[in-house]
Amino acid sequence: MDTRNTQPTMTGILRASFFAGDCLAAATTGVVTTLAVRLIIPPDFDMVAAMMIGMAIGTIVHLLLGLVFGPLLGMFETMVPGMYVGMYGGMLFGMRDSMQHAAVSLGTALWVGAAFGVTVAIGVHLWNVQLRQASANEEGCE
Amino acid sequence: MNATETWNRSSRTYDWLTFGDDVRQGDDKRRLFAKACGRTILVAVGTGADIKFLPPGLDIVAIDISPGMVEKAGPRAAAYEGRMELRVMDAQRLECPDASFDTAITACTFCSVPDPVRGLRELHRVLKPEGRLLMYEHVRSNVPAVGLFLDFMTYLSRPLLGPDMNRDTVSNVRRAGFHVVSERNVYFDIVKAVEAVKRYETRMPSTAPQF
Repeated sequence: MDTRNTQPTMTGILRASFFAGDCLAAATTGVVTTLAVRLIIPPDFDMVAAMMIGMAIGTIVHLLLGLVFGPLLGMFETMVPGMYVGMYGGMLFGMRDSMQHAAVSLGTALWVGAAFGVTVAIGVHLWNVQLRQASANEEGCE
Repeated sequence: MNATETWNRSSRTYDWLTFGDDVRQGDDKRRLFAKACGRTILVAVGTGADIKFLPPGLDIVAIDISPGMVEKAGPRAAAYEGRMELRVMDAQRLECPDASFDTAITACTFCSVPDPVRGLRELHRVLKPEGRLLMYEHVRSNVPAVGLFLDFMTYLSRPLLGPDMNRDTVSNVRRAGFHVVSERNVYFDIVKAVEAVKRYETRMPSTAPQF
């Protein structure tokens, strides 16, 4: 193996910055999905329909935001957490807004959206670490 | 729009679109490509963004189907510390003799080759026995929700950007006659570093085009 070109370029600070970027992107997806769902799903709307519409809204939101964050943070690193935040978050937020529209203020809903995004980003990060470790095998050069 | 036109168009924005991937995944690419040795074929060189991850001192033929990409790769190829020849060529019809390379390298290539098994069989043909195939590719996830999402994304990515998001590239490598030595997850189970070899006893695929 030629070792002249194997020095790592991802420093700890850079790695932490990308992780912070992942969390920020997921939080933004959560907030924008929350806002879009709040604007579109009316109070007392059918819960099942609200979940499906919320999922569609979240999918569109995360695809659009992926165009912004993907080039900066990596396409798949943006897409995977974004998918979970947009699709599942959209469903949950849609269900909540159809049932508890008046009980949860917009400010609270936005904070919950951001917290949901960050939680998903951390979860996906840990899942990724596990998947990497599961497949890791030391590859020597013959 | 055919593949050449699609990638000529993409050559203008490719480096910008892949900036994050380039920085984040560079170390994994460098680690995989460090195993290259001898005469090497680099398939789909693109704008040459991956040239900096290659070990120096190789004798490389770098190909791409897009003249626009090859033109962009020119300065990076010239800066490579080794020998690098750039050629416009289709991965499905390699204009190279049988058993002429020690290593074949691909990076995010077989998501876009229209007939991936045919392209891989071509690589099998041009590699010497015990020649090494080093692939850095994205594939369909085995996580059900993510896999379905990648199926959905393929409907958007194929006409807009070119690549499929849901290919089973590792199975295609086996189908082409290679022996997979290792398959390492780089991001999730989507982005993978795959190492395969052309076994000595493996017969040359009968479907290889004749030159």
